[in-house]
Amino acid sequence: MLEFVISKYNFWVYVILMMIGLYAMLAKRNLVKKLIGMNIFQTAIILFYVSIGVKKGPVQVPIILTEHGHVVQAIRATDYLNPLPHVLMLTAIVVSIATTGVALAVLILIYRRYQTLNEDEILALRQQRRETGA
Amino acid sequence: MKTIILIFVVLMGLFLLYGTMDMPGWGDPNSPASTWVSPRYIEQALEKTETPNLVTAVLGDYRGYDTMGETTVIFTAAIACALLLRGATGNRRKEDE
Repeated sequence: MLEFVISKYNFWVYVILMMIGLYAMLAKRNLVKKLIGMNIFQTAIILFYVSIGVKKGPVQVPIILTEHGHVVQAIRATDYLNPLPHVLMLTAIVVSIATTGVALAVLILIYRRYQTLNEDEILALRQQRRETGA
Repeated sequence: MKTIILIFVVLMGLFLLYGTMDMPGWGDPNSPASTWVSPRYIEQALEKTETPNLVTAVLGDYRGYDTMGETTVIFTAAIACALLLRGATGNRRKEDE
């Protein structure tokens, strides 16, 4: 039982992080808090993928030791961590930075127009302005 | 409304927890992710790409087109930010609105 918990608890932590992010995205009314929730969600996914690449035991980071252009010892796949999740998550981090940046730019414009970031107040203001024709 | 969202989120979490029961254990060297594709990359990357760092080899060589598309993403995001925030700092033209 304890062994089962130890071999799985990392996934459970990521599921909890994902739940926090999803709840913040859906339930919070402040748009910046929604954005932070999205970032927490993305962090959970990134941690999940990186943890897939882990191998227990005497393994090295995925950099092959070379001396004067020659391999020091024969390359065995079991001696190195799995590099593919790391590569995929590099791409995911770049995309998350891009989305966060554009979202923050949009939030700045929203704040300049409505002087608030609360979703309900923004919707009320929109309705009000449409009725008055402003 | 918040209770409905909370129930939905907990339900999603329970589904995912149920899904983790089939996942390989943490750090398992015999997990499918470590035994199917990645050994080929680890063993052949140095020979094929002359790059000791495997992450760089995969990112810049095997997945070079993917990385090129990634730079397009960053460029698009930068252009979008620049267009959105044009004139947002310094002189605020509130009279125009």
